[in-house]
Amino acid sequence: MSEAILAVSGVHTFIGQHHILQGISFEARADAVTVLLGRNGAGKSTTLKTTIGLLPAARGKIVYRGKEIQDCKPYEIAREGIGFIPEHMGIFAGLTVEENMRVAMLSEDADTHRRLERTLDMFADLRKFWRAKAGILSGGQKQMLSIARAIVNKTSLLLIDEPSKGLAPIIVDVLIDAINQIKERSVVILVEQNFYMASSVGDYFFILDDGMVVHSGEMPALIQDEALQSRYLGISKIS
Amino acid sequence: MAEPTPVHLFHMSEKRRQFKSSGFFLKMAVLLLFILVPFLFPSFKTVDLAMQIVMFAALVASFDILLGYTGILSFGHGMFFGIGAYCVAFLIGKYGSPSYGNLILGFLLAAAVSAVLALLISLLTLRVKAIFFAMITLAIAELAIVLATKLSGLTGGEDGISLFTPGIFSPAFNLGEFMGIDINGRVVTYYFILFSCLALFLIMLRFTKSPLGRVLQAIRDNVQRAEALGYNTFLYQSISITFGCVVAGLVGALYALWVGYVNPESSLSVMTIMLDVLLMVIIGGMGTLYGGLIGAAFLKITQTYLPDLQHLAKDLFPQAEFLHNIMERWLLLFGVLFILVVIFFPKGVIGSIREYGARRKSRGLNKTA
Repeated sequence: MSEAILAVSGVHTFIGQHHILQGISFEARADAVTVLLGRNGAGKSTTLKTTIGLLPAARGKIVYRGKEIQDCKPYEIAREGIGFIPEHMGIFAGLTVEENMRVAMLSEDADTHRRLERTLDMFADLRKFWRAKAGILSGGQKQMLSIARAIVNKTSLLLIDEPSKGLAPIIVDVLIDAINQIKERSVVILVEQNFYMASSVGDYFFILDDGMVVHSGEMPALIQDEALQSRYLGISKIS
Repeated sequence: MAEPTPVHLFHMSEKRRQFKSSGFFLKMAVLLLFILVPFLFPSFKTVDLAMQIVMFAALVASFDILLGYTGILSFGHGMFFGIGAYCVAFLIGKYGSPSYGNLILGFLLAAAVSAVLALLISLLTLRVKAIFFAMITLAIAELAIVLATKLSGLTGGEDGISLFTPGIFSPAFNLGEFMGIDINGRVVTYYFILFSCLALFLIMLRFTKSPLGRVLQAIRDNVQRAEALGYNTFLYQSISITFGCVVAGLVGALYALWVGYVNPESSLSVMTIMLDVLLMVIIGGMGTLYGGLIGAAFLKITQTYLPDLQHLAKDLFPQAEFLHNIMERWLLLFGVLFILVVIFFPKGVIGSIREYGARRKSRGLNKTA
């Protein structure tokens, strides 16, 4: 088994008066896609936001490559090599596609330009709309831009929050292909409600409920376990 | 040789297009018009109007860096304009002789005081929420007016300070006649301020087009997303505020040189300076820089010529008393004009034109997709 690149242990997070994460613990292993599953309000997105530092962890430890990062600022965490793709296609709508990409490029060296080329090959639409305002892109194109922005830098861990939300199935397939390519060079933690997407890309899973991990294991086991899917994910087979 | 990347290709095409576009020729025509103003319209009123437009265009552009490019609303921006004006007034008016050295020192002092104060305000107040930041800067601006009024021993109080401009800027200076126009200190000052404002504008343009400017626009769109990309947003916002305020201070220094007099009402007042700047940026369009020129031209031209309409109405229609009454209340007409501009150009003149162009371009791209 490969070692953990990120270890989250006993993390508690509050949003205002609400105690959202109640001692969550999980690990993301190198060379794998870890999927966080669970119903709405289970604390999946809060887990990612706490990991990147956008929400402060009240208690607990987040260790990334042997370094505690729970007290670091988001920009410090990002510069450690953690990319974050927020839900709702977190792009800068007032900037062009080119400006979105260049803002994301923390350096403009040859390696970054090579990654940019590779990213634009992966998402051809972005090349076409290169000089257009990002606000006018379709939902799928915005999500592509959001992913492209996160992978143009050398990231060793990518946090992706519900990339399939609100997208047509054909676009979801494009994103699945993209994530399968990304996982070749970066560890991915994916928050997803769409079980088709989660099972297509995931290697390991953690099911969250009420801000805690209630089940974990390898993805093929979850695909077989219909009772577990039904209990925690609300998935039931129509007979 | 390595294949050019999309970024390189884009810049090569931008460079090729830069000096061929209709926008470039329009900008050159506007610049030429301002250069020719003293020769085409030599009356004091028109030259003063052109000067006010130029200085306010630069001031509004500096405010636009905060509001339009970084998303920070500061009511204290006008204060830095006043600080710049007072710095020059102290050096070549109240406490120093009218020499070039003192004038340069005045400009340096204006930039330094503005930078230090802006940085201090950023560090102390930027962490509060946007609306509270706006309120704090308003309070600081009001405090500056009170201080300038009450510390009359230092600032001249409400009476203000008169300046004595040195050498070629002095009203007594005369270089002779050129194309029928006396090249006096006033004309020299006009060109000095025109080209200084142009230089400041080009620096601001470069600033907004730089990688730093792109980060500021990202922060304006969403602070958290910019932070998650690896940017210390607090630092970038502080840089933006400091830069904008230094430019405002320098424009204030130029304003003092042109007007030859500073007092709290004309240089520091939130109502006379800040309100005008806000209206100008709304009319021209936020996040455009060039909008400042449109806004300043609209406001200054209407403020200068609308009051004259009552005389025109009396001359043309001596019996129409109702019309005379309306023309006397020219601010009402100004209000109507402002409402019309906001209705027809909801994102300001430049902002709306750019949006229309972007929409047309995106329709074209979608058709080819």
